[in-house]
Amino acid sequence: MAFARWVPGPSRPVLFFLLKTLPLLVLLTFSSAAPPAASSPAAVHNNNWAVLVCTSRFWFNYRHMANTLSLYRTVKRLGIPDERIILMLADDMACNPRNNYPAQVFNNENHQLNLYGDNVEVDYRGYEVTVENFLRVLTGRHESAVPRSKRLLSDEGSHILLYMTGHGGDEFLKFQDNEELQSHDLADAVKQMKEKHRFKELLIMVDTCQAATLFSQLQSPGVLAIGSSMKGENSYSHHLDSDIGVSVVDRFTFHTLAFFEKLNMYSNASLNSLFNSYDPSMLLSTAYYRMDLYKRALNEVPVTNFFGSVMKTIHTDSAYTGFLAAHNAETPLPIGNDIVDDVMLQNEASARRSNIEETKVSFSKFCKIK
Amino acid sequence: MAEIAGDETPPLPSSSGAEESSLLSSPPSPTAISGDEPPPRTRKPGTKRLVLTASVLLSFLVGLPLLLKSTEIHRSPLPSDAIADLSRRLQSHPPSFPCGLHAVFLRSGPGSPVASLADQLERAISTQHHLLPASSTAGNISVSVTIQSGGGCTSSTAAASPWRCGLLTAADSVRDDEVFDELLHSALGGRDGDGMKVYTIVIAEDDDGKGTRVVIGKHRHAWVVGKVDEAEALSLIGNVFIKYFMNGGIEEGETGIGKGEFMPVGSDGNVVLSFSLLNADPNDWVYDWEFKNIGERILTPVVEALRPVADINIESQVLYHTPKSSYSYSDDKLGGNVLSMGDIPFFVNSNEWHLDTSISATGRSKVLQFVVYIPSARECPLYLQLPDGELSKTNAFISPMWGGVVIWNPPGCSVGSKKAHGTRRQMSSQELMETLEIFIGQLRQLFGLKPNYHAQGMDVATKFLVSEKGFAQWELDLLYRHHACSNLLSCVATLESLSSLVQSLPRMIVMDEIGRQVELSLEAASLAQRNATLGIGDSSAVSATRARALAEDAFFHPSIMSISYASVEHYFAIYMV
Repeated sequence: MAFARWVPGPSRPVLFFLLKTLPLLVLLTFSSAAPPAASSPAAVHNNNWAVLVCTSRFWFNYRHMANTLSLYRTVKRLGIPDERIILMLADDMACNPRNNYPAQVFNNENHQLNLYGDNVEVDYRGYEVTVENFLRVLTGRHESAVPRSKRLLSDEGSHILLYMTGHGGDEFLKFQDNEELQSHDLADAVKQMKEKHRFKELLIMVDTCQAATLFSQLQSPGVLAIGSSMKGENSYSHHLDSDIGVSVVDRFTFHTLAFFEKLNMYSNASLNSLFNSYDPSMLLSTAYYRMDLYKRALNEVPVTNFFGSVMKTIHTDSAYTGFLAAHNAETPLPIGNDIVDDVMLQNEASARRSNIEETKVSFSKFCKIK
Repeated sequence: MAEIAGDETPPLPSSSGAEESSLLSSPPSPTAISGDEPPPRTRKPGTKRLVLTASVLLSFLVGLPLLLKSTEIHRSPLPSDAIADLSRRLQSHPPSFPCGLHAVFLRSGPGSPVASLADQLERAISTQHHLLPASSTAGNISVSVTIQSGGGCTSSTAAASPWRCGLLTAADSVRDDEVFDELLHSALGGRDGDGMKVYTIVIAEDDDGKGTRVVIGKHRHAWVVGKVDEAEALSLIGNVFIKYFMNGGIEEGETGIGKGEFMPVGSDGNVVLSFSLLNADPNDWVYDWEFKNIGERILTPVVEALRPVADINIESQVLYHTPKSSYSYSDDKLGGNVLSMGDIPFFVNSNEWHLDTSISATGRSKVLQFVVYIPSARECPLYLQLPDGELSKTNAFISPMWGGVVIWNPPGCSVGSKKAHGTRRQMSSQELMETLEIFIGQLRQLFGLKPNYHAQGMDVATKFLVSEKGFAQWELDLLYRHHACSNLLSCVATLESLSSLVQSLPRMIVMDEIGRQVELSLEAASLAQRNATLGIGDSSAVSATRARALAEDAFFHPSIMSISYASVEHYFAIYMV
């Protein structure tokens, strides 16, 4: 975009389009001259979020829905709760009139796993999945009436997994067959997120054709991105389910799931092993990942850092003992006999507490486990 | 043309311009053309054409600014200079609160003069002041000493000391600690006072045979009882002041107040405390509690005390069918089921615990979950085992920025006994109040303080008085200071990113509301900074919270979207074509 410096104040319409002399340079200086946010001490990782987006509509894109639901099932199984997952599905396959198996979505022709079982919480469905809503979720700029379950409420200690699947091309991802998310929009949104400390680390997984071009414009630190194919390559579906009549899963996601089915929430397999498990001959494309913005070594990062959820916990050594007594003795007078009464009340309270302690101990002596 | 010439062909239009113009300018009369050459043009082609062309061009030029003005985008001006100015000021003078230390010696005999004591104390403080981590928000410390011996008092400062001479003597210190605390509070003026906060430490030289002990009260003072010589007294004063009044008991290397994960306040300044009672298996027993009456009553002073830092709402709920998701093993020796600390991170079963049901929590407020987990009959009693093999006294743990969990074993639970299924019981109010004590301890932990102090690192026995507000006044001062500083810095960072974003997208609409919010935010931030230099913690915290909330409102205004805005080509395509 070619713009001259925009003077704050009443706009000068005549000047701006006459002074088209310093296009990109000026824009670049402005975006890079943003003074660094007050340097906060390194935040500690304390929660995980997942944003799973399926951008395709229509029955023949069944596999994209199955991709997203498979990832949803995986991250839930590994511990991320529904309240920290934003699931965006652009169309409804489970209740589609063409679905032979109503209310069921499979990702394998053996039909062993129903992805749409119980407990699926879709946050954005159907026509709500638009580029604008997607960017609003990332940057956090919602209308005030949007409920909490539809917001990405991450903070500076969050690790976010962003998974996108659908039809894509060189530097774009197609949404709903009528609009596009461009790579510089995504890079812009990520930059805004970083400025507001909305994530500590971000892992972007893209399963589309020419996926690696979608994150080519990223520049924010702390971002790791992997795409299923490089520029000029297509990503292929895995197999066709003759019963349902369409392909049910894509190769990249199929192999990702094969990796995760072997894990549970206590595992500490590293990201390196995940990325190395992609075999170009099986994928029929080159899974390309970008780690220049990511500081940690991949073999030290467990996959549960992004795909699972481990809470940081601290033991509470003791209660704030004496609080009740202080509350009962609410308005102590400085001088007078009431003080003596208050003191006696407090002594009674503490005696009662020590009694309870003793009864607890004696109960535990009586409770025998067979 | 057929009417003009009779039987003559009309002259061809490809002839020279002069002829053409003669064709145009001469009136179409048959008599003039037939036979004759049209008379050559006498004047240069000119004024009419010039006037026509000029008028069209002029009307276009006149109309162009009107066109552009009518299609301009509305951008409310942001005071980016003021923002840059405030940011520079904050970077060069980080917000710091001046405090005062006032030492009072209740003496019976003679000793060093006041001035020398004051000097020694000041020297002792200045060496230790900047060593500990959480003291970054405290600014200059002014030291003053008062000595009360016999009937009179001498003070090291020329200004009137707040100490009311003669109201208390060393002999009073043998009374009960709570009583002496209130006596001291009234002797030091009895009000909280505006302006700089002064912390007082009283040395009462009285040998009551119990040895030296330190008591830290719940207002802004502490006292030392026992036989101490001057050097020891001075070092004790320094220790108590730096370690507790300035640092909240946080040791070097520990994380506590001031770090981001211990400030659980939403960006709009709201916090919702959500208390949940979880019945893991209602087939065994179903418990209910009287939280509405008891809990809310007990928590009201705490909510009031934390008001400058956050607006707190309290909600409670009872949930059923909420098993835990980690495994416990049964231990016959200890008489129950045991969870180790390694299982705790997997304890919260987010799939089945639907805790986030708050209706009062808006999009940007923070929800802290306080959960009482009642185990099922199979796993009851459930104990938490610490790494050193001991059982936890509280059976409770927290997760920073999330909340806390207490495992409460129902009284009389034993696996063998047959109970009527699904009996409905009530958690007794005594049990509820004790659980609330644990929750207050957890709330303190979530805000970065210790749930209760153990006198670590101090050579003498130290006791801490407990306040019904959940936090002692000096702890509240610490919280106010840290939250004020951090909110101020975060507000300025947000305003700067907003300003640079707006400048980098020249064709983005900036609504008036955003401009207004930025101005209000700047005002509140300046007020907060001014109050900080005066040392007023609570109003500075209030203004800083407000400034940050407004800045975040402006930055997250839904009309700012980072989709690339229309380029100049787009503008031409819409309006010009």
